Amino acid sequence: MFSNCLNKIGKACLLAVMLGSVHGCREILEPPPVDLLVDELVLTGPADIEPVRLGLYNALRSFGSTTIMAGDFTADYIQHNGTFTDYNELGNKNLTAANGAVAALWGGIYGAVYIANFIEENIGQVSKVTQDEKDVLLAEARFCRGYAYFIAAYTFGDVPLVTTTDVQTNRNIPRTSKEDILAFVLEDYEAALADLPDLWDANSREVNKQFATRNAVRAALARYYLYGKDWINAEKYATELINTGRQSLDSSYVTVITTEFDSETIFEVAYGNTSGDDPGTSSTGLNNLLVGRREVIPSNNFVLQLLTNNAGTRTATIRFNSSNQQGNDNGWTVTKYGTPDQSNNNITLFRLAETYLIRAEARAQQGKITGTGGALADVNVLRIRAKAPLANFSTQANALTVIEQERLYELAFEGHRWFDLRRTERVQAVMSAFSPNWSSKFELWPVPQGEIQRNPALQGSQNPGY
Amino acid sequence: MTKYGALAGLLLIILGLNAPVRAQNRNITGSITLAKDGSALPGVSVLVKGTAIGTITNLEGQYTIAVPGGTHVLVYSFIGLETQEITVGGGRSVVNVLMEESQTELAQVVVTGYHQLQRRDVIGSITSLKSDKFKDLPVTGFDQALQGQAAGVQVSQSSGTPGGGIAIRIRGNTSISASNRPLFIVDGTPVFDGRVSGRDFGGQNDNSLAVVNPNDIESVEVLKDASAKAIYGSRGANGVVIITTKRGKNNKTTITADVQRGIVELIGKPKLMNSTELVELQREAALAGGSNPDMMGLIAGVTDLVDTDWISEVLRRGILQQYQVAAAGGNEKTRFYLSGNVRDEEGVQLNNRFTRYTGSLNLDHAANTKLKFGANINVSMTQNDRVKGDNFLDGVYSGAIKSLPYYSPYDEQGRLYVPNDPNYAEFPNFNPVGQALLPRFRTYGLKMIAGANVDIELARDIKLRTKVSMDYNNSEEDQYEPSTTAIGGYLASVGGKGYGVYLTSTLYTLVNSNVLTYYKAFGEGHQLNLLLGNEIIHSQERSSDVSGRLFPSDQFTYISSAGVVDAGGSFYSQSGLMSYFGEAKYDFNEKYYLSGTARFDGSSRFGRSRRYGFFPSVSAGWRLSQEPFLESLAFLDDLKLRGSYGFTGNERIGNFQYLGTWASVTYNGNTGVSPNRLPNNQLQWERTREANLGVDAAFWDGRVKVTADVYHNLTDNLLFAEPIPLTTGYSSIQGNIGQVANKGIELSIATENLTGDLKWTTDLNVTHNQNLVRLLANGDTLYRGYTADGVGSTNAVLEGQPLGTFWGLQFLGVDPATGDALYEDLNGDGKISPDDGQVIGNAQPKLYGGLTNRFSWNGIDLSVFFHFMYGNKVLNLTNATLLNAGTDLENNQSKAALRRWRQEGDVTDVPRYELGNTYNNYHSSRFLEDGSFLRLKNVALGYTLPEAWVRKVGLQRARIFVSGNNIWTLKRYSGVDPEVSTLDGSTVSQGIDFFTLPQVKTIQGGFTLSF
Repeated sequence: MFSNCLNKIGKACLLAVMLGSVHGCREILEPPPVDLLVDELVLTGPADIEPVRLGLYNALRSFGSTTIMAGDFTADYIQHNGTFTDYNELGNKNLTAANGAVAALWGGIYGAVYIANFIEENIGQVSKVTQDEKDVLLAEARFCRGYAYFIAAYTFGDVPLVTTTDVQTNRNIPRTSKEDILAFVLEDYEAALADLPDLWDANSREVNKQFATRNAVRAALARYYLYGKDWINAEKYATELINTGRQSLDSSYVTVITTEFDSETIFEVAYGNTSGDDPGTSSTGLNNLLVGRREVIPSNNFVLQLLTNNAGTRTATIRFNSSNQQGNDNGWTVTKYGTPDQSNNNITLFRLAETYLIRAEARAQQGKITGTGGALADVNVLRIRAKAPLANFSTQANALTVIEQERLYELAFEGHRWFDLRRTERVQAVMSAFSPNWSSKFELWPVPQGEIQRNPALQGSQNPGY
Repeated sequence: MTKYGALAGLLLIILGLNAPVRAQNRNITGSITLAKDGSALPGVSVLVKGTAIGTITNLEGQYTIAVPGGTHVLVYSFIGLETQEITVGGGRSVVNVLMEESQTELAQVVVTGYHQLQRRDVIGSITSLKSDKFKDLPVTGFDQALQGQAAGVQVSQSSGTPGGGIAIRIRGNTSISASNRPLFIVDGTPVFDGRVSGRDFGGQNDNSLAVVNPNDIESVEVLKDASAKAIYGSRGANGVVIITTKRGKNNKTTITADVQRGIVELIGKPKLMNSTELVELQREAALAGGSNPDMMGLIAGVTDLVDTDWISEVLRRGILQQYQVAAAGGNEKTRFYLSGNVRDEEGVQLNNRFTRYTGSLNLDHAANTKLKFGANINVSMTQNDRVKGDNFLDGVYSGAIKSLPYYSPYDEQGRLYVPNDPNYAEFPNFNPVGQALLPRFRTYGLKMIAGANVDIELARDIKLRTKVSMDYNNSEEDQYEPSTTAIGGYLASVGGKGYGVYLTSTLYTLVNSNVLTYYKAFGEGHQLNLLLGNEIIHSQERSSDVSGRLFPSDQFTYISSAGVVDAGGSFYSQSGLMSYFGEAKYDFNEKYYLSGTARFDGSSRFGRSRRYGFFPSVSAGWRLSQEPFLESLAFLDDLKLRGSYGFTGNERIGNFQYLGTWASVTYNGNTGVSPNRLPNNQLQWERTREANLGVDAAFWDGRVKVTADVYHNLTDNLLFAEPIPLTTGYSSIQGNIGQVANKGIELSIATENLTGDLKWTTDLNVTHNQNLVRLLANGDTLYRGYTADGVGSTNAVLEGQPLGTFWGLQFLGVDPATGDALYEDLNGDGKISPDDGQVIGNAQPKLYGGLTNRFSWNGIDLSVFFHFMYGNKVLNLTNATLLNAGTDLENNQSKAALRRWRQEGDVTDVPRYELGNTYNNYHSSRFLEDGSFLRLKNVALGYTLPEAWVRKVGLQRARIFVSGNNIWTLKRYSGVDPEVSTLDGSTVSQGIDFFTLPQVKTIQGGFTLSF
């Protein structure tokens, strides 16, 4: 057949009077791609390490905002104020399996898992790169994968455990029990802790906070054990982290809100500020949802709590504008996610204040309430920074109540509330009081409708109630 | 290899057949002229009947033919002229002939693919439309003019936006993901159709076909079956529309001036609540939802003191004007057509305007009888002042339709309310009057279609045509949204100080085609036509964009003054097609026809293993009316049966879809790579197998003409991105899995009812098409369209249903006891969930067509044209907002909400209103309506002044006319216009009305003068 184009043209000289002069055949039929990289070339040599690494963090970032939706929008912090059905469902506690945020979180998690698996499968074959460099990239991949599965397990319950890039395998894959997923997370975290550096660049705070470090793994492990009610390990990793001294609390809470890469951040997923790399007006961009469109505004209940004395300067989490107050709109806006101009559109995954609260809770659960090494001291570190009255408690029950409230003041809209209420088993009480539509099925997000339809192994295994 | 060998062999056979016949001859000479104006006719074929002896006339219309002794019959024929047979006795040596233009349609020229045929000899399914059929229609582009004029051609205008999108489907929809638009060919050049510009305006796009001036068009041919289309191979599956522009004739120069002016207004307005009705409804909804309406500022007698009719505030009566001067003429050697045209249409929305300037020049020159040249240049420039709409909250009509009537566009000083004013309605409502008047959304368009061809007669009966042509489309979008608009002033991420965008986009196709034709008549009535050709098509796409924000003030509107320029991009891609094609046609005595066509295409869009495709077709025709057993039927003029079978393709997907690729992504402003697409080396063409049976008949001296076709087409290897579970790390894989079938019946009847002084003709065409998705990968259901509350998506593609299927819950009415919506619990699990989603209807009509009656009497002509569609459903998605059962209180409501359930026992179809309740507004068949309509599309009344009068003032011809478009519509749809489609050009999500601007009504008048 036509194996050679030029040959064909030569023989067709009578027909192709002008053909040769216009364009060559290869040019016509095989134009090179200009903005795409074919699979085989992605991870082969030393120059490929950095682009793939950035792709990994980009994938991790891609579900930053939806994780916050799971943690905060599912809970009692918000009301809906816009036109998007996805957020109407979240605001009015009518979440369905067709919700776009649900699919976006699920897709984001498995997008990150894919790149991590790709790195794990291919890192061995990269030429001219030292074993140490390979180990570090793999550690970053495993940290990201562990974090992705951690969010998956606590949002959806049992989820498919994808450990390869093979499409055929991953198209037809059943759910794995939450316990096994969490065991996999722990393996990833521990492997990452061994190989990640303490610092990437001694001179750049920005670099050390936008990429995973050993302290990021410690923060993740502290949270892992807190959720798993392993109070000793939770305290242990929190203390290890605090004792490294690599992070310190900002002197003012407003800095937490308005500044990127501030001194207490352990790890934040980052957007650029002077380039097109910003969350922009995408339908899951937090600034767009909370400030631009005000699709989602703080609930009255939340506003009232943040206006109490104990919240202190943390009321800066929200702001009031009387011109917004009309109809069902209470006029309040969440301010934690700014625009590119305000340079605070990054999403913080771990910061030191949470570590203090983890340790406070772990200590309280072990009965360490007051004194050095007690929960009260950790809570008051944050109260002092917030210029709020010092907390005072002496019983375990009181301590846990105050800590729950302190997490609300301190960590609101950073993706914690719904996960916290569930692990403390307070979710039914708090949420039923908040919304008549609440039902226990909302203790897990549904598996996205599309996944059930497209993955035969998932058919009939939707979470209860959806 | 084998293939080319065969072609070469065929060439040898052709040359071999060309051995001249010699005998004891005498010469006959003569000249041939056109009876009408006495001009010489070059190129007329002169043939000694029953022999292979023939010649053609030279440039001066003269011929010399050597004939054997004795009496012979000479046959003089020329396409478009009546064939004459003259018996020449032994002694005669000079035969001069006057030839008449043919009156019968059977002899008219039909342009098919790479050559021309007489209608009589067409055995494919081809509909021809001459320019006089659409000369009085106020159409912007010829695509609009096809509506209701041709059987098998479904044309829907997506909205009333001037210069906006038109959906054309020929014999149904064949594809899910690849384009469903036909291939458009203008003077042999494949032209780009669809949008050129880059920015989304909410749903409605610009239309590059609106840039071609329909007044320059001589005829439009629609190729519908495999026999006609297979010569276009991989691009033919959706039908081919061939446009031939006007060319000069061999006679004296004629200058024609056309003037048209008219007014444009919306065909109707939606019925919306006034302030008092709305405040009452909102109070009710707030109370039901546990809120205090007083605290929300909803106070009857106070809040409703302002009552704005937003729709009227953003609409106007537009002015439409068009001016054209054309000159045509020529002599034996050179002919020309030259025209200039200006068209200016004000849209009905404030500040919306489409202006077009076109110029065209067509030249034909004959150096001698063996060498001819031709050239065509068609240049159009447009300026399109656009406004946002449809799915955009900051649109004009789309904003007005939902704006709360208790806000006002202007303050007490008559100044527009803008963002951050105290009484501005705020998100999600913006001031639609401001959104119309304040931004600048100007698109400059440029389209050039140009070509040059050389025709060489290589030997007697063998001609070579070489053509190089191009289609160049460019758009530049010059946009500024000041701080007084939603984007420029309200959106936090933009910064509240204006937003400027500048985009350029160029789409460019270069084509070279070389076609050899061979014609031979031999023996008694045998005629053979052969065609061989190749074609190279190279397309480029180039674009760039930049945006800036933070302007010092709204007096600075270009990006040079922007404080921050932080977004921009550029892009380039190219694609190519390399093809060989051939055709063989044979007929015997114009009674038996046989033809075969094939094209062999190589496309850059597919991987090496699947790069080439072969698309053959065969067809046959039988003119029964020539048979002795039917010759006794005096009333029967012509009866022809046709049949064809063949394959065509569709390659219109994006580039590089077969490669597994990673694309660039960013993290903290640095660039990395991220997986983009899964590879599929086996990706290939969509292939449509087409079978067609047709009959053409003419009765009673051509007073009744009937054409009927039945067809059955099956498209397989359907190109689409098969959705796969996200656990793979991807959302889809490009594949070729699926089948879509179209079968249908087309009927066209043309009658001359009265032929005396008062003439009356009727044209009717009706089409029934049945579209069905036969097969999908894994039996999957693909969800498409808009996301839908509580059920996933508004549209679905699934086996056993047509494309354009609507998906949703089945609405069973409103529970009279509670006022809640009742939905069918399809799976019987006791709750309503997305699993209860089902097919609720589809957007494709069962029947569509057009009916035109034309009358003429003493220079007065009247035409009345109806267009209709029957059996299609329209999704009134606007009502998911305007009849929203209290989901939110941010939008005005339709008057239909006055029917809402209010107390126990109310029997109604509108659920109760409760603030924040989304359940009652789940996407369901509640929003699906019958979209059938009958529309008086056009009435035109003209008067041609008596020739005696106009001669006195030096004119040849003068005609005045008035015409009205979209005068009246019979419909059941509760919205304004069932024809609209918010997702302009979409196949799987067609027929959705989502704040879409309805069609416009146009009343215009004008005159035509010829010198």
